[in-house]
Amino acid sequence: MNFRSFILGLAAAFGLPWLCLIVIPVVKYQQLTPVAYDKDKDGVEGMFPPAPINAQGQLVYVREGCNQCHTQMIRPSQLGLDGWYKGWGQDQEARPVAARSNVLRDYLSEKYALLGIQRVGPDLTNFGWRAPEAAALHVHFYAPRSVHDWSTMPAYTQLYKLQKIQGPPSDRALKLSKKFAPPAGYEVVPTPEADRLVEYLLSLKRDYPVPGQSAAVAASPAKK
Amino acid sequence: MQTTPASSDTELQADNLRRAAIDKSVKGPVLFLFTNGAFWLMLSTILGVLAAIKLVEPEFLGNAPFISYGRLQPAHINALVYGWGVQAALGVMLWIMARRSGQELKHGKSLLITAGVFWNITITVGILAILMGKSTSIEWLEMPKFVWPVLLACFLCYAWPIARMFGRAFRPEGFMVSTWYILGACFWFPWIFITANVALHCLPGLGALGAGIDAWYIHGVILLFFVPVGIGAAYYFIPKITGQPIASAQLASAGFWTLAILGGWTGMQKYMGGPLPAWMTAVGAATGVLLLIPVGLVGLNHHLTTLGKHSAVASSPTLRFIFFGALFYPVSGFVLALNSAFWTGSALQFTQSWYSFQVVSVYGFFSMCVFGAIYYIVPRLSGCEWLSVRLIRNHFWFSVYGIGTIVVMSLVAGWQQGADLNNPEHWDQNFMNHVVNSRAYVVSRAVAWALISFSNLMFLLHLLLMVAGLGRRSSAPTLLHREHDEHALPAHA
Repeated sequence: MNFRSFILGLAAAFGLPWLCLIVIPVVKYQQLTPVAYDKDKDGVEGMFPPAPINAQGQLVYVREGCNQCHTQMIRPSQLGLDGWYKGWGQDQEARPVAARSNVLRDYLSEKYALLGIQRVGPDLTNFGWRAPEAAALHVHFYAPRSVHDWSTMPAYTQLYKLQKIQGPPSDRALKLSKKFAPPAGYEVVPTPEADRLVEYLLSLKRDYPVPGQSAAVAASPAKK
Repeated sequence: MQTTPASSDTELQADNLRRAAIDKSVKGPVLFLFTNGAFWLMLSTILGVLAAIKLVEPEFLGNAPFISYGRLQPAHINALVYGWGVQAALGVMLWIMARRSGQELKHGKSLLITAGVFWNITITVGILAILMGKSTSIEWLEMPKFVWPVLLACFLCYAWPIARMFGRAFRPEGFMVSTWYILGACFWFPWIFITANVALHCLPGLGALGAGIDAWYIHGVILLFFVPVGIGAAYYFIPKITGQPIASAQLASAGFWTLAILGGWTGMQKYMGGPLPAWMTAVGAATGVLLLIPVGLVGLNHHLTTLGKHSAVASSPTLRFIFFGALFYPVSGFVLALNSAFWTGSALQFTQSWYSFQVVSVYGFFSMCVFGAIYYIVPRLSGCEWLSVRLIRNHFWFSVYGIGTIVVMSLVAGWQQGADLNNPEHWDQNFMNHVVNSRAYVVSRAVAWALISFSNLMFLLHLLLMVAGLGRRSSAPTLLHREHDEHALPAHA
């Protein structure tokens, strides 16, 4: 073995997985586009995925490193019970039907899908369905322990403004419990960044039917 | 050995002179990298303690945004990987390659130092940016995107002379397994680094595929950069200190090429069951288990080489660190296999067990081997011997216990987290059980990082004294089994 064949060996050993796992999938991914639903087969109209991601709110999520503790990926039942968790998908009444696991197109409009690193907190793939009102969510961000005293979520106080009440109190002021309330004469209001983050989280709904394999198709009798 | 008193044999003397000349030629850059790396290691372990505490008690030290877990944890990992890991690896690679190829570093020393300075400035800016809220949230690439071209250029400044030394001294018939690994690391790291950064920072959005590429990047850097440097150091120092040749050339060669062939396939199983095409995660998972083959081959070879020479492990600090580092290689392979295999991986996915793999491979295996190398290299560059046996011993034991605790606790915590996640009775409950059940494990993680921080403090002080030339003036190396603490003071003190 001479020097040249050694280098060639190194290149070939790594080049093959590089080509198969990275280059070809990346090239093919560029051709992935939204697809239209077929009214007859899927029972719905429009495009899949229906709307692009709220990129502005996602920036706040990215900046704060939320994906260190929150995943955005529902696994199929043979791997985990994610889809069966209450509120982790749209369908709450018709149990037992699990929320579907995710497909590549669910994240089509995202620059980088925040699938997550660890699952310290609950999964947020379809958080929009179970989310409380925006006001309650703001309270959760400002003082997580006012919602659950066992919570290990950081308080994102930097996304909120503590201000002196001048004139009538703001109708956007957070309704905090006594322990977490600001001093008398002050109120806590969300900054625009907090609003973007909440809008983003409320928009997270990634269990729309996949064209061609929706629940309606699965449930309908097989056609020959 | 270089410190052997000059014998009448002129050939041996010429040999020693040549080695001393090689050491002198790489002294500046290597000591620069080691010292700065040790500072980053110190910082990284302290951030590790803080991050673990914040994961249990988020109100610790107040709610300041720059110390929230979401920013501390990436800062901790980036300091460990780029601040310490890559820097220390480059130092070891440069020294071993120069010695093994018998070549002096002829020119470009100031370029290497400049590259090192730029590397450190860039990492500092990058980690500050993460803490200030400019993180990209791409695991191991959290630093802002202007950082990577600078890092790449600095790395190549080192990789080029190392590769040139290898090329000039390549002997087809010669058996140079440690330099194979080091050249492989030089060659693969830029490739992996460019691929991941171009894909994730320069191409238009890749959505979920981007997450897969990131997972591939992490495992590529571990398996094709940190692991080869660790094994390369082990293959260099174990025969050197035990005085035995490497047991089997066939095993060494097979271990190298199986790692080279398998290393690039794994990683995407991190998102098994996710949106990635199933074959990609399946290939990653299968390779994650198959990697037990190179792990076993190398482990067997090291075992056969040290067989009967275990007394040297007790006395030589270098061999002790490398021996235990080499023991952590099978452990890391085992953890990777557990994370990858379908039936255990489904429980361990998205749990601390993946953190356990990163820590055991980057710290337990790679860093322990590098510590061993540093204990051998630095006395030869600074011209004095390590001051204190006690400092070395404490560094060793606190590191071993700390790493052991993190690995075991994170694995068990992972199992617990997975069991909680997949417990059907939790389907309509909030996350209280998961949070409360994992609390104790995270506390143990904080304690373990605190032990490691303590050991690193001693290592850093010891290293700084050595670099400042304040070590023992003696021709006898500092060994662990003989008590010579009483004359451990510098000769001129």
